[in-house]
Amino acid sequence: MIRALGSIRLALVGMLLLAIAAALSYGNPVGTPVWVLVAPLAFLAVNLLAAIATNPRINRRGGLLVFHLGLLAIIVLAGIGRLTHLEAQLEMTEGTAFSPADLTHLAKGPWHSGALEQLVFVQGPFTVDYSPGIVRGLTHSQVLIPDGQTDASGGTGGWQTKVVGDDRVLILEGYRFYTSFNKGFAPVLTWVPDGGGEALSGTIHMPSYPLFDYKQESSWTPPNEKGVGKEIKFWLRLKTGLRDDAAWVLDGKTTTGVLVVNVDDRRVELEPGQSVHVPGGVLRYERLTTWMGYKVFYDPTLHWLFGAAIMAILGLGTHFWRKAGVSLQIAPVLAAIDAPEVPRASPPDASAGRLV
Amino acid sequence: MNEVTSASGSMLSVMGYATELPWLWAGLSAYVLATVIAVMGMMRMRIGVTTIGAMTQASPRPHEKFVLLMVALGVALLTVAITERWMRLGHGPFVNLFELLMSQLWSLGLVFAVVYWRVPLLRPSAVVALPMTWVLGGWVLALQPVDTAFPPTYYNDWLWAHVGLGKFFLAFCLVGTGLAGVILLRNTQRFAAWFRHVPADAVLDALAWRFMLLAFIFHSLMLTAGAVWAQDAWGRYWAWDALETSSFLNWLMLGASIHARLTYRIPIRVGAIAIIGVFVFAFITYFGTPFYSTAAHKGVV
Ligand code: HEM
Repeated sequence: MIRALGSIRLALVGMLLLAIAAALSYGNPVGTPVWVLVAPLAFLAVNLLAAIATNPRINRRGGLLVFHLGLLAIIVLAGIGRLTHLEAQLEMTEGTAFSPADLTHLAKGPWHSGALEQLVFVQGPFTVDYSPGIVRGLTHSQVLIPDGQTDASGGTGGWQTKVVGDDRVLILEGYRFYTSFNKGFAPVLTWVPDGGGEALSGTIHMPSYPLFDYKQESSWTPPNEKGVGKEIKFWLRLKTGLRDDAAWVLDGKTTTGVLVVNVDDRRVELEPGQSVHVPGGVLRYERLTTWMGYKVFYDPTLHWLFGAAIMAILGLGTHFWRKAGVSLQIAPVLAAIDAPEVPRASPPDASAGRLV
Repeated sequence: MNEVTSASGSMLSVMGYATELPWLWAGLSAYVLATVIAVMGMMRMRIGVTTIGAMTQASPRPHEKFVLLMVALGVALLTVAITERWMRLGHGPFVNLFELLMSQLWSLGLVFAVVYWRVPLLRPSAVVALPMTWVLGGWVLALQPVDTAFPPTYYNDWLWAHVGLGKFFLAFCLVGTGLAGVILLRNTQRFAAWFRHVPADAVLDALAWRFMLLAFIFHSLMLTAGAVWAQDAWGRYWAWDALETSSFLNWLMLGASIHARLTYRIPIRVGAIAIIGVFVFAFITYFGTPFYSTAAHKGVV
């Protein structure tokens, strides 16, 4: 029974099913049920386990055994990875600390149980290099991390600065933060309601820059005692030095921005530090700051997966090496067949039979 | 949502004269010459009895050293072409199809030359393998040598591992395909005489599949290195983008062929067709994907 379950014929069926599943998964189409991939992988895993248990052609050959065990480990680890993973997006304003509440597009496996709540880091300034033609180069994003969070020393109570971006990922407690092409400017605003209510302070993230250079618009509706007040429309007129024909660096420190405020039919231009009275209160444009977009990823199996893959390939390499050794032993046979005296074409297929 | 637009790409194309082109032409000419010598050598063996008589195990067929020399010269000239472009643009040939084809022509030639030199048994297969370089060569010459900018995610050492291992995969696939081609050709009336002195089908078959197993190992390594790079660059190790899906299917196809051959007594010629099928699929994966996906990998920049 187990022998039949481990037949290579079933493995071929499983591979065909997996190929169909892979084709159906192209582009991660929404609505493809998870079992499309899980079913053939589970089928192959059971088939492989049975073969490893019963078939001496696998389990008596060390290299091949290690290779197939590695494949099995990859299937199991990838499964565990999906059950425990977390993926999300994040926009962080310069000068603010990470908060799990800011994560958007959050997706996580049912067994996810990381220490997300304990992560502490603060977003610093960033720069992005551009080549002529506005082709994005490297991102350098500064983050402040408390001493001791990245190692087990407990720290000295101070902060350390790290520069992350592109292939320099920030890893905290297994959570990986990748800078994305999504980043831009954010006016810092203060709202003081008429009648002495509590003042509010915050930022408005303008659309990604320079991707939406032409569309630096947003809006905000201040609260009032009756609930929602009048919508205020913003347009940010930036001076970033952006140019098409030469290299350029996107840098919040060298950028200035005039905030154009529109309420009803009124249009007011504010420089940093200026304010305007609009229906319901006073709006003050404090200064211009920036925001950086991140992709967040957590999967505790990553290193294990890499280890399993390398182990599998080393196993197959050993197996190949042994086979190559066999081929050296048959070299005299090959040489004899290769000899020029052979008078005519060897008969197709029928000759000496298969050598492996 | 990616910032490298085709508009900016075409704008870049007008920026510098492609000084690598003469070297590229020269390298391709050497490959063509190698092919011609290989074919003429086989034809001479078909008719020239004295030539055959002159051959011994110790001294290989006389034309073979010229074939090797020409392929080696082609590789050397392509090395200059690639270096020239590299120095002009400040980055390696990794970005657009022109660069991909050019560097594959280089690596296929290099690996093939080494294998040709070390494994005399497969030398007759040059008449099948070398014309493949014409396909790539014709294609690369038909493309504009557009200047490229180096995407930020390419500043990663895994790029080298991934690309390099992939080159070995395709090159070993080419070696297997050359042998498979000989198996199929020698069984036709027209070409039977060319391959009279070539070892029996069973020997070629064993050798071809050995190279396919080697190709499989390098494909597995390429996928692993690619996954590490993808994790570093885009925060995910696997996302079923065009290249990932296609190369996974290619890997599975080769794995399934290896199993099928070990399980069923598949006729040698059917096995040869399977090898060519794997190579064609690999070819489509490498050079076809740019046609149905804007960037080689989704979100590549
Ligand atoms: C899932 C069920 C699988 C089973 C039951 C299985 C079984 C086997 C067996 C019995 C052999 C030894 C055959 C022989 O030398 O006579 C073998 C070899 C091999 N298997 Fe698998 N296998 C499975 C999956 C896979 C997969 C998914 C791959 C990769 C796509 C793979 C790649 C290989 C390779 C490369 C060899 C070496 C062949 C050679 O020596 O030329 N196997 N497998």
